Amino acid sequence: MSAIAAIIAAEPESEGSVLSIRQDTLFEEGLFIRTDPIAAEALFARIKQRAPDVVYTIWYFMMAETEGLETSLLRYVALALVHGDRINGHLTHDDVKAVVSVARKAGREAHRMKGLLRFEQLRDGTWLARMEPDNNVIQPLAKHFSRRLRDQKWFILDVGRRSAAHWDGHELRFGTLEQFERPDLSDEEQQVQAMWRTFFSTIAIPERRNPRLQKSNMPAKYWKYLTEKQGE
Amino acid sequence: MDIQEKLGILSGAARYDASCASSGCGREGTAIRVGNTSQGGICHSWSDDGRCISLLKVLLSNDCRYDCAYCVNRSSNPVPRASFTAREVVDLTMEFYRRNYIEGLFLSSAVMKGPDQTMEDMVRVAEILRNEERFGGYIHLKVIPGSSPELVRRAGLAADRISVNIELPSAESLHRLAPQKRKESILEPMKLIGTEIGSSLVERTLSRKAPKFAPAGQSTQMIIGASPETDLQILRLSQGLYRKMNLKRVYYSAFVPVNDDNRLPVLATPPLLREHRLYQADWLLRFYGFSAEEILSDDAPDLDESFDPKTAWALRHPGFFPVEVNRADYNTLLRVPGIGPISAKRIVAARRFSVITPEGMKKIGVVMKRAKYFITCSGRSFEKPDREPARLRQRLLLGDGGEPAEQPRQLVLPGLLV
Repeated sequence: MSAIAAIIAAEPESEGSVLSIRQDTLFEEGLFIRTDPIAAEALFARIKQRAPDVVYTIWYFMMAETEGLETSLLRYVALALVHGDRINGHLTHDDVKAVVSVARKAGREAHRMKGLLRFEQLRDGTWLARMEPDNNVIQPLAKHFSRRLRDQKWFILDVGRRSAAHWDGHELRFGTLEQFERPDLSDEEQQVQAMWRTFFSTIAIPERRNPRLQKSNMPAKYWKYLTEKQGE
Repeated sequence: MDIQEKLGILSGAARYDASCASSGCGREGTAIRVGNTSQGGICHSWSDDGRCISLLKVLLSNDCRYDCAYCVNRSSNPVPRASFTAREVVDLTMEFYRRNYIEGLFLSSAVMKGPDQTMEDMVRVAEILRNEERFGGYIHLKVIPGSSPELVRRAGLAADRISVNIELPSAESLHRLAPQKRKESILEPMKLIGTEIGSSLVERTLSRKAPKFAPAGQSTQMIIGASPETDLQILRLSQGLYRKMNLKRVYYSAFVPVNDDNRLPVLATPPLLREHRLYQADWLLRFYGFSAEEILSDDAPDLDESFDPKTAWALRHPGFFPVEVNRADYNTLLRVPGIGPISAKRIVAARRFSVITPEGMKKIGVVMKRAKYFITCSGRSFEKPDREPARLRQRLLLGDGGEPAEQPRQLVLPGLLV
């Protein structure tokens, strides 16, 4: 973001600028831009004022951790500063389309995980949910559950990224962890899980069995941590 | 009987209820200890039949005194019977909710001693959840036909959504297949709910503290294929329910033969394609500005199996097309096969920046496979105007290469969108 701020400060139109991870070639020399959190903050503040929805689009775009779209993001931000939130409708523009599509994909997974995340109760009464999403969606997820499961103390772990969110009933904290082993579950936990599996299998109408539809709605990559799909 | 066994019986008995929506209202507040609802609804899993699981869908009891021909729980069926206590349902809901298995509870029931006693027990479950557990998640209560107005009111105050099943598409069929249920005992609570929702909305404009009555609205469900009504009759009924009763959703449930009964048709499989076409037509009623009479007529009273109802309408109205995407208004764009509300909105937004080209249409996400026969971009058409309906039908069915195009046979119960 600070690189984008620097380019936009130098060249508000930024039509001809290209942004990429530094990689000097024989013929072209890039301009190295130092990371500058203050400039990044200032740019964010400007966008927030000019185009509040665009801030969300950028936030979700970042969650996708996509490489190679830096220039598109630069142009998108420059356009947003001119046109405001309306820019998200300019889908026939390649750079807008690229940024908005990536953001939408991350947004979809964040929404999906709101449903698919499973909490398990540990011996000490705290709750633990593990996941391995494609996008780095732990922030919006944790925010969602801090409003929903607000009287429970819980952790959400992104196993692949080794990141964690913790809610203590009052405050949300984010951090990373080096090593992790799941602690023992509470005695009651096994019983409730068994009841959920009973419900899951009896709620399906046998005459309408349709595993293909099930998989297309709920891809198998999410089954690893689903209580109802253990052992499949 | 232990709770696991009860759950097996009472969720198995509830699976023929189609609704799984958990959307339609946002509930937040400090009087709530756990739980909230989400405007768009959230699916938590998908069962082996591919339908979404959003709510703990159970019956309070399957011990029924009625003997409806189509129902698995009818009194003459030799099935195991069980009943939950209120506390058991409350605990199950809370335990499942705390683990994020569900958005909330969808409680229905067989008619035990009588409508009022059954309804009272169901309402009590919802009231315990709200008042003792201070549960802020989603609750959908089924209203038992013939319940007293007072209980219907209490149900509406505790639940997000309430529904009365209309069961069958006509009074004659109801009389024949569910002789103990009367049309009036279904329509009266429906009307009452409609009135209460309306007056609650008015009161809330005057005072924000006025209680919410069924803030996610009213829905209903009918069985398709167990009785002889045409699709036109069914769509007219739905249209009336949307327009006059202000219903949020009508659900269609393909008849699954669970009983031997000479009043019922013999079917090899449930009429899933018909159910799917009815949902598509229902979408046209609610989001596309179509009327039942535009979709079907007395001469052709049933939906086409080969084409979705919008494409079928387009084929019958060649004079309406081609539509110029750079000029047509939103409602006209909505009539084009392959353009839905999302693409239509995107087209309107995108053309404020520049003229839309054929490539632009693809970027916007229009299903060009179908749309290309019906549109122009700045006067340019994509296909030679193929006005001969028979040939166009053929091309839409078979695709461009003469290969059969993939049939839009996604047999889904669209539960999430209200």
